[in-house]
Amino acid sequence: MTLQNLLKIGRLKPHAPTPQEIQRLLLVAERNLVDARIESISDETRFDVAYKAIMQLALVAMMASGYRPSTNEPGHHQTMIQSLPLTLGLPNETWVVLDALRRKRNASDYQGDSIEFEALTECLAQATALLTATRQWLEDRHPNLLRATP
Amino acid sequence: MTTLPISLATHLLGSTRSAVLASVLLHPESALHVRELARITGASPGSLHRELRALTELGLLLREEIGRQVHYRANPACPIFEELAGLLRKTVGIADVLRAALTPLADQIAMAFVYGSVAAGREGPRSDMDVMVLGRVGFAPVVKALAPTQEALRREVNATVMKPGDFMRKRHAGDGFVASVIREPKLWLIGNEDDLAELAQDRPA
Repeated sequence: MTLQNLLKIGRLKPHAPTPQEIQRLLLVAERNLVDARIESISDETRFDVAYKAIMQLALVAMMASGYRPSTNEPGHHQTMIQSLPLTLGLPNETWVVLDALRRKRNASDYQGDSIEFEALTECLAQATALLTATRQWLEDRHPNLLRATP
Repeated sequence: MTTLPISLATHLLGSTRSAVLASVLLHPESALHVRELARITGASPGSLHRELRALTELGLLLREEIGRQVHYRANPACPIFEELAGLLRKTVGIADVLRAALTPLADQIAMAFVYGSVAAGREGPRSDMDVMVLGRVGFAPVVKALAPTQEALRREVNATVMKPGDFMRKRHAGDGFVASVIREPKLWLIGNEDDLAELAQDRPA
């Protein structure tokens, strides 16, 4: 599967990225990651916020690549995670773990399953690594999107 | 243990033999200590020793002494190794497939079982498999180990990974999820109901 194929089957739409939106999303993802490290809130909420950061970073990579998800299509979280090997070149192993975190979040949100500490730790580690990888990738491939704009 | 779905391999080979062969033959790269095999298969030491001795004499397994410990591994030079491994791959049940996948992590796992609709025998054709892993292993290694089984089982496999102490702490704190997991039917992969009962008796400090 390529990003072009995902576009053809209607999972993605074309998108013209702007530095403002990319930088705004990066800041929001960073802030979410800071919030996710607050130990006095529940593991479920911390997980949720760290997961949100992962989604925002996947969106940054997708937008910078010239696409955005069709949010009227079901399963766009799955599409976002599926896109990461295609945008950032993440290894399949990482994709497997991110997809497990997505299913964990579904089970927590829609079935009330609790989030275990191990899953929270992994979600935080993945979000942190993804932030570094996304920033590095933007600097290498799309430095214009990181530049200050008037 | 109710509703244990019997697999073709279990029926053909018996539960101990199919569990031993699946653990060893489906992971020819690793050698397993007898105690590890006992824990993984849930077999009694007596019948396990008999089984291992017979399978070694027949040339299916290799016995290795590492220091004072005895390990067993598959013997790929055995003339029927390929056929038997293939047979096991096709006939072992859900539990065997998942158990074999977790075997490389077994030294970090105290207990593992399937819970939820599949364990209760009320699954639909597209139900996910819910696997609980109690031990000192991390979430990512378990997810990576279980990922390849999804194709064979044609279902998504969801893992929950907890330290035994956290599991019991949640239980004593009245966590509804943990309470229902304890109450509901399980399909045991590593360890058994007695191990869980023993853990339940250890009150958290």
